[in-house]
Amino acid sequence: MKEISRRTFNKKSILLSCLAALAPASPAIAMFDKVQKDAFLAREDLSDALRSMYMTYDATYPYDHKFNETLVKDQLRNLQFSVENGINTDQIDHYIMTNEPILKRIKALVEKEGSEKALVELFDDEPCSYQLFEHIKVKTGERSFPCPYKSNLEHGKKWLKTFSIEWSDVCNKWCIPIWKRSADIIGIKIEVKTGETCSVRLQNPEEKEKS
Amino acid sequence: MDSNLQNKTDNNIQDTNSKVMDRRNFGRKILAAGFLSSAVLLGQTKDARAWMDGTFSQRKDLPDAIRALKKTYSDIAPYPHKFNDALVKNRLRDIDFVVGKGLEKENVDHFVYTLGYLINKYLKKGVEMGGKDIALWGMFERTSCSYQLYEHITIQEFERSFPCPFKPMFEELKKDPGTLKIKWKDVCNKWCIPVWNGFAERAGVEIKVKTGETCKVKVL
Repeated sequence: MKEISRRTFNKKSILLSCLAALAPASPAIAMFDKVQKDAFLAREDLSDALRSMYMTYDATYPYDHKFNETLVKDQLRNLQFSVENGINTDQIDHYIMTNEPILKRIKALVEKEGSEKALVELFDDEPCSYQLFEHIKVKTGERSFPCPYKSNLEHGKKWLKTFSIEWSDVCNKWCIPIWKRSADIIGIKIEVKTGETCSVRLQNPEEKEKS
Repeated sequence: MDSNLQNKTDNNIQDTNSKVMDRRNFGRKILAAGFLSSAVLLGQTKDARAWMDGTFSQRKDLPDAIRALKKTYSDIAPYPHKFNDALVKNRLRDIDFVVGKGLEKENVDHFVYTLGYLINKYLKKGVEMGGKDIALWGMFERTSCSYQLYEHITIQEFERSFPCPFKPMFEELKKDPGTLKIKWKDVCNKWCIPVWNGFAERAGVEIKVKTGETCKVKVL
């Protein structure tokens, strides 16, 4: 086997590296950019998030805790308060009022890009949704997700013993009116099915006409 | 008691209360207190394992959590989103609603009531058995309602502090969509302070609260 000197080896390897880097230049730059531009990688507060997640998912008794635990309980508690005080419709009005400028922006996007954009904005890209629903199943014209309230309401009734609303209250006095009223402002028609898995479906134009 | 001696004793108590313990000692104390409180106040061993039970790696729903985390922390427009975003927004909206209705006191009472069963059953007994720090332990690092809300909690004996989660979000919401009517001080005075005082009262301790960009809750 032919031996080469350290100097020659270095020269050859530098040359090869340069060639290798230059030949597929764009993918290499793209890779470089990918790391540089990845918002997630650039975050410096990830340790706080991971700590919270670890503490949550390491708590499995009396039931498995999840990332949406406190948000769901808060919404259930707020709903119970408004139902008990007979101000539930005012609470819905307030929710819609606080979101109205955003809903109107979505309306403008829907007019440009089509109804599907409404589902993207209301569910896929909305932190209030993806931090609430454990997972969102995306189909054209439809989003479905497991109901986050049912199990938490059962836990609340069993372990906190202070929750008195029923699961049907959550569907009828919170989820359905919120989604329907939001859809009205956006200017779309939706069909809502609640249950262990909820679905929000865009009504097709024929159905829209019929309705 | 001689007044000098009284002062000295008071100062010593204050020093002890405000002393920042080293991590090892604090760890030991909190472990002992945690064990005592868990074992005694929760009564059953199964209940005592309720928290940080080492089952993280066995969870099958971790991908959902990681997906939500990745999505949240990749979302930096119009501001860097955090794991507590939806919760903080939801709470601010609710405070705005009840303050608008003049029902903030009733709302706080309702919140404290819904957690009252646990406080009466566990926390009160824990304080009696393990000391006043148990009240803070139960109100903050022990409950998902706190560690899912506060980005991080600094633990000192008889004191917990954490960055206010409401202020940055409140400022963002004021800019856009700009529909909340409350002020930041309403969050402190009509939510945080009365809620913590309500918990403390039920747990049988007295606390001193300082709100601001960093909030402090100190047990007296």
